[in-house]
Amino acid sequence: MPVRARRIRLLRALRAARPPLIAALCAVTVLNALIPAATAIATAFLVSRISGHAPSGLLAAATVPLLLFAVVMVAGHAAEAVTVPLEFMAKARIDGAHRTDLARLAAGGPTVDRLESPRVQQLIRIARADPRNWTERTPGDGAVGQLHWLIGLVGAAASCGVLAGYAWWLVPALLVPAALNGFLGNRMHGRFVEAWRSGIPQGVHGAAWEDALASTGEGKDIRLFGLEEWTVAQIRRHLRGLLEPVWRLGAKAWRADLRRFLLIAVPLAGVYAAVAGGTAHGDATVAVETAVLATGWSLFQAFGLGEDARNMSAALETLDAYDEVREALRRDEPDEARASAEPTTGRATVVRFDDVCFTYPGTKRRVIDHLDLEIRPNELLAVVGLNGAGKSTLIKLLSGLYEPTAGRVTADGVDIRQLGAERWRQRISVVFQDFVRYHLTVAQNVALGCGDVPLDYDALEAAARDAGLGDVLDRLPDGWDTPLSRTRTGGVDLSGGQWQQVVLARALYAVRTGARLLVLDEPTAHLDVRTEFEVFDRLAARRGETSVVLISHRLSTVRQADRIVLLENGRIAESGTHDELVAAGGAYAAMFAIQAERFQRGYDDVSGADADSEEATTHG
Amino acid sequence: MADITGPSIPTTRYPMWRWAALWRELFGLAWQRMPGMVVFYFAANIVVLGGVAGTALALRWTIDATIHGDAGSAALAAVLAALAYAVNVVLADLVATPIPLIDQPAILGLLPRVLSDLAAIETLDHLERSDVLDRVTIVRRSPWMIMAGFWSSVGAVFALAQLGVTLLLLGTVSPWLLLLLAVAAVPLWCDRRGSRAVTEAELATAETFRLQQHLFELSTTPAAGKEIRVAGSAAEIVRLQAQAWQQTMNGRARASAVGAAWKFGGWLVFTAGFAAGLAVVVDGTANGAGTVGDLVMAVTVAATLRNTLHGAVTRTASVAQVSRFVEPLFWMRDHLAADRAHRTGTLVAPPVLTEGITFHDVGHTYAGTDRRALDGISVHLPAGSVVAVVGEYGSGKTTLVKVLAKFYRPDSGRVTVDGVDLADLETRAWRARISAAFQDFGRFATTFGQNVGLGDLPHLDDRERVAAAVREADADRVLRRLPDGHDTLLGRDVGGLELSEGQWQKTALARASMRPEPLLFILDEPTASLDAPSEQEIFQRHMARARELGARTGAVSVIVSHRFSTVTGADLILVLDKGRLVEAGPHDELIALGGRYADLYGIQADAYAATS
Ligand SMILES: Nc1ncnc2c1ncn2[C@@H]1O[C@H](COP(=O)(O)OP(=O)(O)OP(=O)(O)O)[C@@H](O)[C@H]1O
Ligand SMILES: Nc1ncnc2c1ncn2[C@@H]1O[C@H](COP(=O)(O)OP(=O)(O)OP(=O)(O)O)[C@@H](O)[C@H]1O
Ligand SMILES: [Mg+2]
Ligand SMILES: [Mg+2]
Repeated sequence: MPVRARRIRLLRALRAARPPLIAALCAVTVLNALIPAATAIATAFLVSRISGHAPSGLLAAATVPLLLFAVVMVAGHAAEAVTVPLEFMAKARIDGAHRTDLARLAAGGPTVDRLESPRVQQLIRIARADPRNWTERTPGDGAVGQLHWLIGLVGAAASCGVLAGYAWWLVPALLVPAALNGFLGNRMHGRFVEAWRSGIPQGVHGAAWEDALASTGEGKDIRLFGLEEWTVAQIRRHLRGLLEPVWRLGAKAWRADLRRFLLIAVPLAGVYAAVAGGTAHGDATVAVETAVLATGWSLFQAFGLGEDARNMSAALETLDAYDEVREALRRDEPDEARASAEPTTGRATVVRFDDVCFTYPGTKRRVIDHLDLEIRPNELLAVVGLNGAGKSTLIKLLSGLYEPTAGRVTADGVDIRQLGAERWRQRISVVFQDFVRYHLTVAQNVALGCGDVPLDYDALEAAARDAGLGDVLDRLPDGWDTPLSRTRTGGVDLSGGQWQQVVLARALYAVRTGARLLVLDEPTAHLDVRTEFEVFDRLAARRGETSVVLISHRLSTVRQADRIVLLENGRIAESGTHDELVAAGGAYAAMFAIQAERFQRGYDDVSGADADSEEATTHG
Repeated sequence: MADITGPSIPTTRYPMWRWAALWRELFGLAWQRMPGMVVFYFAANIVVLGGVAGTALALRWTIDATIHGDAGSAALAAVLAALAYAVNVVLADLVATPIPLIDQPAILGLLPRVLSDLAAIETLDHLERSDVLDRVTIVRRSPWMIMAGFWSSVGAVFALAQLGVTLLLLGTVSPWLLLLLAVAAVPLWCDRRGSRAVTEAELATAETFRLQQHLFELSTTPAAGKEIRVAGSAAEIVRLQAQAWQQTMNGRARASAVGAAWKFGGWLVFTAGFAAGLAVVVDGTANGAGTVGDLVMAVTVAATLRNTLHGAVTRTASVAQVSRFVEPLFWMRDHLAADRAHRTGTLVAPPVLTEGITFHDVGHTYAGTDRRALDGISVHLPAGSVVAVVGEYGSGKTTLVKVLAKFYRPDSGRVTVDGVDLADLETRAWRARISAAFQDFGRFATTFGQNVGLGDLPHLDDRERVAAAVREADADRVLRRLPDGHDTLLGRDVGGLELSEGQWQKTALARASMRPEPLLFILDEPTASLDAPSEQEIFQRHMARARELGARTGAVSVIVSHRFSTVTGADLILVLDKGRLVEAGPHDELIALGGRYADLYGIQADAYAATS
């Protein structure tokens, strides 16, 4: 991006601070920028009064310049003091808007495939404006830095005016090296950021191991298998990989510092010497000399010696990453058919997979392969299949989180893509294998099952009753208003089983508020038999007009379904009621036999018998 | 906004000596890694110290020489002023934040040390309670901040020295100006007051800030993104995120305004004092006691004084801020020390088990809860036996096996291994003789081969051993489907392949099959997410393995399961209810007993009964 466009990009970010605040910030920044020149002039004024004056009555003569000097100082302090909260507020607004925009962008798209791509995740990490190390800066830092820089030019102009009071050539003599110095500093910082970025993939690995060390799951395995030192060594190795490019560059940076020293020292020394010598010869007054000596160095400051330049270039990284994320998540096709589809919430729906194929982006294997399936109104449909058969994938396609690579998914004959993601999803409710645990209140945790309708307390109570959440609620200190995380004041941690109940209530709340298709992906894998049966009895009793799709490896619950389909090699291999499928004697029958057989005989005599049934299924 | 959240827990004050010891440790880390740089840093600070004084003195000389018409001296003095200024500018950055000195010691020195400490805590409470985990998170992210805080405190000493030098310089103009030393205390004090208001506000808003981070993270991670999209809750979550941000920032902005008011008040007093001082200097000039150069120097010094004072204040303030990171670090080290103090065990595990493992009236309550997760458990698990544990959810099954792996110390009773108290066994040596697949097994972001091989670190890259373990866990199907076989990188976060739930579970089971001769083999719901054929296959293999191991080393296998089909063959079945052992015995006995086991078994058997 050309320099000007980048500056404009930063100023655009400033808009989020809103005009009154921007105006106030500009005013104090201008004031700040003029202070060096004003101090110089006030000093010169004071000196001019004194140097010519006779000793008697000197103090009286100096009163006015002294007061003026004091006023300039106070103004400087006032401007500096006010700047802090103003800048804080401006940055808070800018960064707040930026983060919220990014969150909206990331959470907003209809599918997750693009969000999931490693490149987008990496960009989000850069764009998140939540600095974790010294190279990162937020858009707020950058926008305010840009403002400083621009207004610093005003101060620089004022300083130039003071310099020109001695001789015009002082201006280019200091201005050119000062600008060059600013430019070189910028470039150096750019190189640092580049080096930092080149190490990020290593950093991602390091962070993953670090997370592992502090998580319960991986943490247990690390301690049990004695991997403590090994893991720390991995982290060290990856972090070294992350930072080595930067360090290598840093080792060379002293040359840049030397250059910087010369760029400042040589012109400044020349100018100072000339002015001092000249004044001694009587070319100018001591007052003018004083002013020149006091302003000369401030020019170098105006061209970004310190933080401003760094803030600007690093913040631009963040903004660029944001723009790239937006580009990567953007969809070109408008939802043309949106208007044509009628709102059908509340009515039971026929969902159909038409010759659907699907391959995960970045992989080669076709997980779903020419699959046809119909989900009928009010049906309890069970989906079974081996591990990795694609059951969870099927659910993701059904809920429009991925688009089929070929074929289509329709609801009452309309492609769900045409229906529009939002409209379609109002009609479904899904419990994923990895559900979300919000650090919010129980009420919010349940109500977020259907985020696009206003909170409905009756539905909340009803969903809690349906899910059997009462037991859990009774034990919470503030009932519905208890936050579900101990990191919150008055919050509690729930056990896995209790969470599963909350999530079930979440899904049933969505059903209460209009969803007509409920999808459950192994909702009871970790529940005991009794609880599992209770959950299913409740579900069967309360589902009313709702179709249910259930994924489970527990065939004892599956058999209660109206219809069972077996997913194999990416398509539906068998379909029918439990009795039909058992009678047909296919793969389902074999699977059921494996689980059921143990209840018909003791363990010891089973081992021989099911060797052949296993043969039939694993390689079917 | 540069912000790393502080702890939500009430902060404890630690004694000075702890800080001194930490500072010594940090200095050692830096010195050991880059002694040259440390020397350079101190030298640079001294140069800057002299540079500030030098600039002012050179300016005075310049003006005085000019007035005396001594062009040569004036020019020379002016050149010196320029040089002193340039040196200061170049070194100022380094002196303010010595990045190389922070980076390397923090990342290669302190961080590994902190993480090793974290890993060395043998028990698990610090990872399982979200409030404690919060501190752990702070500690993990803090090394850079702590190292920066250390150098800030060094910088603060120099900044105060600089303040002293500056004021002394003024003293050379007129001794009266020395009185400014006392006046300078006013802005210093006010600034600290102001910074304290800001720090307090940051602590008070830490909770909403963290909530904001949590909601932001949910919005941007794909795993949560699935549910958020389907539930249509994106708008609401983003709204809550924005609201939490606003709440945080409002609180902090208010504090920032208060801080600014304090600051300005302080400076107002100082400026009045300074103007009065200047009047004295002017008066002195009039009486011939001073020169115009003195005046110019006083003014120049006054201009830098604000920066100097500001530098001193911000550095002392950042030392105060670093306590937010240092205190959790101290806490964690104390926690580790307490953990170590409990480690009385020195014995290694026996090569083979002859008697078995015995629970003597074992009870355990999780910190922060008032229910007993285990309550008066007494039972003997004979050497060489296969033991199944069943019970409703939350009945204490997982707690029981975690006690066996020494992840918790029972708060009453004891567990013995061949008569030796588990507490007397050295934990790492005992764990070296255990293999396990837990309910919430690990998913490591590395290759498939390493995911399995980590189960026996010395054989991490031993292809044959890994392949055998993979077969043992019926995971060859998973392996066959991987594009790069053993070398396939797993985990979406690091750009690897994602597995299905059951495929991950098989990987964990394969890992548990790596160690050749465990004395204790734990499977906590090993087949919760597995399909029927795999469950069957794995169960049979593990049963065979358990028997074989049992015969060879007297190993005890403990299998926790909700699937009754998989437990009937066990030698001993333990039935837990609300932390108590309610029934124990082989399948037939328990069925005959007609109690809880028979009841639960009946539910499942009915569900599989031939007619529906
Ligand atoms: N996000 C993803 N990216 C790439 N491949 C994936 C992803 N998720 C799943 N897969 C692959 O797709 C295949 C099907 O996975 P899916 O999760 O649909 O299986 P499943 O039938 O639900 O299995 P399980 O019973 O173990 O839950 C697996 O081989 C898996 O490796
Ligand atoms: N880390 C923890 N902190 C506090 N309480 C806990 C913790 N882990 C478990 N509990 C509580 O201790 C009790 C026993 O839990 P445990 O996990 O041992 O049960 P479980 O029988 O394994 O259950 P599940 O079948 O659901 O796995 C439960 O009430 C649970 O809520
Ligand atoms: Mg699945
Ligand atoms: Mg458990």
